[in-house]
Amino acid sequence: MAPRVVVVGLASDFGCQVQITNIEDHLLEMLDVIDLGYWQLASSGHMPAEYDIAVVEGAVTTLEHVELLKRLRKTASVVMTIGTCAHTGGIPALANRCDLDAAYSAVYGEGSDVARGRCAPGPVHSVIDVDYQVPGCPIDTDEFLAVLSKALQGLADPLPGDPMCAVCKTKENVCLLDRGEICLGLVTRTGCGAKCPSLGRPCTGCRGLAPDANFDAARKVLASKGFDPNELDRRFDLYNAVREGVR
Amino acid sequence: MSIITVEHVARIEGHGTIHVELEGSTVKDVHMEIIEPARFFEPMVVGRRFDEVSLVTSRICGICSPNHAVTSLKAIEDALGIQVSERTKLLRKLLVYGSYLQNHATHLYIFSAPDFLGLPSVFPLAETHPDVLERALKIKKAGNELCTLVGGRPVHPVTAVVGGFTHEPGADELEAFRDRLLALVDDAVVTAQLFDSFDVPEFASSCEMLALADTEEYAVYDGNTAALEAGWNRPVQEYRAFIDEQVVGHSNAKHSTSDGRSFMTGAIARVNLSGKQLMPRAAEALASLSTGAVGKNTFLNNVCQAIELIDACERCAVYCDRLVAEGGTSTPVKYEVRAGFGVGATEAPRGTVYHSYTLDDDGFVLSGDIITPTAQNLGNLDADMRAFAPTVAGLPHDEFILQVEELVRAYDLCLSCSVH
Ligand code: SF4
Ligand code: SF4
Repeated sequence: MAPRVVVVGLASDFGCQVQITNIEDHLLEMLDVIDLGYWQLASSGHMPAEYDIAVVEGAVTTLEHVELLKRLRKTASVVMTIGTCAHTGGIPALANRCDLDAAYSAVYGEGSDVARGRCAPGPVHSVIDVDYQVPGCPIDTDEFLAVLSKALQGLADPLPGDPMCAVCKTKENVCLLDRGEICLGLVTRTGCGAKCPSLGRPCTGCRGLAPDANFDAARKVLASKGFDPNELDRRFDLYNAVREGVR
Repeated sequence: MSIITVEHVARIEGHGTIHVELEGSTVKDVHMEIIEPARFFEPMVVGRRFDEVSLVTSRICGICSPNHAVTSLKAIEDALGIQVSERTKLLRKLLVYGSYLQNHATHLYIFSAPDFLGLPSVFPLAETHPDVLERALKIKKAGNELCTLVGGRPVHPVTAVVGGFTHEPGADELEAFRDRLLALVDDAVVTAQLFDSFDVPEFASSCEMLALADTEEYAVYDGNTAALEAGWNRPVQEYRAFIDEQVVGHSNAKHSTSDGRSFMTGAIARVNLSGKQLMPRAAEALASLSTGAVGKNTFLNNVCQAIELIDACERCAVYCDRLVAEGGTSTPVKYEVRAGFGVGATEAPRGTVYHSYTLDDDGFVLSGDIITPTAQNLGNLDADMRAFAPTVAGLPHDEFILQVEELVRAYDLCLSCSVH
């Protein structure tokens, strides 16, 4: 029997689920090998009681999310996260940098009750163990398919640990630091093929912290190029406000 | 009294619940509860540098990310007094239309069509109507690839920055894409015919309609905001004066009014306000609709989206040609960082989106304000549901719910946008 997969969204912009719908060419083939048991974005119907693989998008921002994740972990034999929101807390976790009470009043006026059930935004693995991760904001569609097929076969899929500068060099890009722009490729986990620098834009760190990265050395590189070294930390916050959450 | 709730309404972007109170077959109340948790983009951009803003706001929505990115770039450029080149504008319009192709095809075929074909999702179409599914995916894919051609990927464009682009497609790529768009026009026409053939209830919303309007062309990037019924036309810089937002108890998203009335924005508002500027095949499709003029039947928002698909294919083909023929540059213009306030607006697939930011002397954001199309439309959706539900309350339960859901889906809501 085809393994049953459910796709669930927490706090996110649905961009990674949209990227799943973007596998147009392979969508039908994919539907041959899995039983898509639940995908709220694309279908009516309810979450089934039994499933094998839970694909989770989005950051944890409410107590309801926490409960849902625990339920998913109990039922599914494999939990896979997609996207930076789920991996590091991503953009939703930037809210950790704000005074949320003040933010509630700013958005909804004093004394509103929309704050119900909210918790500090964080990544999925701050709540449950995660077996497979597809990083990136958004995920790359082909990478998603590759990781999903490993998950289906039970093969390990360790994330690369090194920062992306080496890959960027192989693309023969002119280093953006030498063009007067702060690039976070110095500390960001490789795997995207240095997507942004290859298109002339500095990396902003969406794939999270490379475990082998040396922040101190990177700050010194920035200083030596005439930048404020603290900009490394400030900019890296963009997708990585929950720094300790990065595995 | 009985209460019906449809939780997590399917095939819309985000989490929402329809709430209906019935006494016998009399509808006492009906509204849409937005349970999507609040997301705080406005406070989150505070303290970010002006050149990071579009990266943050792009993440409001994975479907219309190019629109949020482009709109916030316009607002920042307004604050810094930057004029971008004509070429940059053309490329940005391609990004906007890429999101139209992608969004409209997804909404029409994947979210809405199952309603009319009596299916729970689009997937069974693979068996029963493979040609329809194939057409849907073809149009959607062209939209993604147009966004990728210009922005570097389908979601969250990489290349669009303050003042211009960091990279642009080559002439050969633009020419190849033009041919592909021209070949797609027929598929878009068939889409409009298909949606025109679906029965929709006769219904007239009591709403106002707002959209950008421009003397030059069908407005998606430039222009003022125009009101269909009130007849005014005002610079987008004044948006806070003509749109009021209110917090409502049952929704994490605010509701909007203009001159005290709920209003609709989106394809149907654009077609009503700028229909005369549609490209030829799109204009032909509009003129030959079986329903006559679209007027204010909000169910016809679907058909209007289909007409915009035709227009997008024809228009973007012209833009590709212009980019090849006209030269010029999209390299980011030089600018000084300074304090200021700026507003940007564009037409996203689901309607006008407004962004505004105040920057300090070093270009860091002091405050930000964003109004998404869905936030503008929700008040009107409630009003439409209150007017429409009683007319179908006599139907069997399932059919009644389906009809109300169809109305909801015609709005092409994006709830995660609405609680930005
Ligand atoms: S990781 Fe990025 S693209 Fe994916 S859901 Fe989060 S914000 Fe959207
Ligand atoms: S270059 Fe950096 S910001 Fe761009 S996709 Fe790769 S990791 Fe993400």
